[in-house]
Amino acid sequence: MIAWQPAGEPSIPARQQPALALEYGRSRDACDADLLHDTGLVAGLDPDSLVAPAQYLQQLANTLRTLDSPDTSFMLGQLLLPGHDGAASHALVQAPNLRALLQTLCRYHARLTPLLRPRFESWGDVALLYWIDAHGAPAIRPALVEMHMTAVVALCRWLGGERLPWRFCFNRSAPRHVEQHHVHLGTELRFGCQLDAMLLPSGWLDRPWPRASEMAARLAQQAAEQEPERAPGILAALYDYLLAEVRMAPTLERTASDFGVSPATFKRQLLRHHTHFQGELDQVRTHVALWLFQVERADNEQVARYLGFHDAANFRRSFKRWTGLTPGPIRAALDGELGWFSAALGPGV
Amino acid sequence: MSNLIRHALLIGALLGAFAFLFVGAGMMIPMAQWDWVDIASEGGTSLLAALWCLTVLSSRPDGLVTRLLAGGLACIMLGSWADCLDEVVDVDKAALWDNALESLLPLGMLVLTVGMYYWRLEQATLSDHMRKRERLFRNHRPFDRITQLADAAYLREQLRIESRRDDHHGCALVLFDIDEFHRINREHGQPEGDRVLQAVAHMLLLNLRNEDLLCRYAGDRFAVLMPGLNEPEARDAAQHLCRMVSSMRHHAPKGRVRISLRHGCAPARGAPDALLADLCRQMDAV
Repeated sequence: MIAWQPAGEPSIPARQQPALALEYGRSRDACDADLLHDTGLVAGLDPDSLVAPAQYLQQLANTLRTLDSPDTSFMLGQLLLPGHDGAASHALVQAPNLRALLQTLCRYHARLTPLLRPRFESWGDVALLYWIDAHGAPAIRPALVEMHMTAVVALCRWLGGERLPWRFCFNRSAPRHVEQHHVHLGTELRFGCQLDAMLLPSGWLDRPWPRASEMAARLAQQAAEQEPERAPGILAALYDYLLAEVRMAPTLERTASDFGVSPATFKRQLLRHHTHFQGELDQVRTHVALWLFQVERADNEQVARYLGFHDAANFRRSFKRWTGLTPGPIRAALDGELGWFSAALGPGV
Repeated sequence: MSNLIRHALLIGALLGAFAFLFVGAGMMIPMAQWDWVDIASEGGTSLLAALWCLTVLSSRPDGLVTRLLAGGLACIMLGSWADCLDEVVDVDKAALWDNALESLLPLGMLVLTVGMYYWRLEQATLSDHMRKRERLFRNHRPFDRITQLADAAYLREQLRIESRRDDHHGCALVLFDIDEFHRINREHGQPEGDRVLQAVAHMLLLNLRNEDLLCRYAGDRFAVLMPGLNEPEARDAAQHLCRMVSSMRHHAPKGRVRISLRHGCAPARGAPDALLADLCRQMDAV
């Protein structure tokens, strides 16, 4: 059975991410009553208690609204990593290079970034880190993405001792102004993409970092492995599950039974997380199709076959429904993006 | 909020006490003889003066100017109120106290005038303080809370104005980043980082010309708009500013923090968003 965590159940230690966010809100002259409004935590944040992801999300939404400042999500991101989760955070700090850091982050994401699940992929010259909503927070998703991207950029800059040439794709329309993105992330920004992703030339993955010690890194990894597993959010678990099962035509019934609940309960849970099964499945299939277009240079026929469609026309219609665009323009846009990225790789790479 | 309620209650109590005094000392005039226009104008003046008094008290910090302004308005309020009550209550015209109360109105105007005089002095000081932080027009919204500097929105507005102006004196835009600012935040904590931002902002302000405009672009990035300077002159000025900041000593609880700046410079021409994006790209390459 698959381990998962509903947003309504307490699972995040209050002394970790919620306490950091509260501390930041206070440092900007906001009062606890506003910051913790509607979270059910009005009595105050007991550091030894657990907070439900839904409560933490509400707290962040309050903080963004109360401070009403364009830099809030970015400043919260600066504080997010490595975090204070004992062995997992320590393993992050001890990572000898970027590849180990990203792998550690993805492995312990339920502890380190419980709201967004990072996924790390690398092919050819490209390293890609993209973010999946773990608990369903459509209202503040753009802010969460900014926060988590800033966290990774800032951590890498600190550990690597230099600014990495990240490029950013956002699954949202362009904001009116991007000065905060410029300063906290970088100048290479793309809006209106199909996923929230950070790209980097893969040559950076294995460069040893200045303070790296192989022994310390190994010990830290071992310690982190001893920690009890924490279950990911339902949407993060579902994304992983659907990605693995995408060729087996996953159904709500079978997925629910693999998640250990009845289809009706599963449906209700998804609704409670502001989504539904078909939407999540379509998202995964979109991402797989994009992957095949981009990495395998597949055509519509091949992608249709891979995803179990009768024919290319059927796939083309569905793809249009998922993304609002037919594969042709998307492929052109991807090539544009890859071109945008390849140009950045520079000659000789 | 509680202060506002306290003041409102106090004003209400004063007005009530006056009403009691009049009703107790005189005879009610029959309603048929009331002059409604007088009652409305005097009563209205009194109530509006009460509102102004509350606005002043709730929007300004306590001090001489605040007290004079609020006191003057309170006198005007009470004087008009006494006038108004005179219309409905028949009081012996020879009674000294009634005349004294009505003379509160001119007294209040006098006090208010003195308050305005000091307010003008205060405003001159504040304008002097704000000179390098704002230009050409005042807009109270786009100010950064930490450094009290104008933000990127105000900068863009100024760049737009600058690009519309068609003179040949030129204008340069310089961006400054604090070196290793993220490390200061990590090692000394974000409150110390905020203090560094304030210190750098002050140092830059002290070394700018009166016509320059300093803004906080975002994070640790500052922008200076230098009207009348071409690029080499602006670069020279920027290097001087960097030298001034690096010679500054910042003392954190954990010891001395070294602060240095790097800068990028371009003529302030063209669309603000494109200009800023290009300059930011230039900063990242440094």
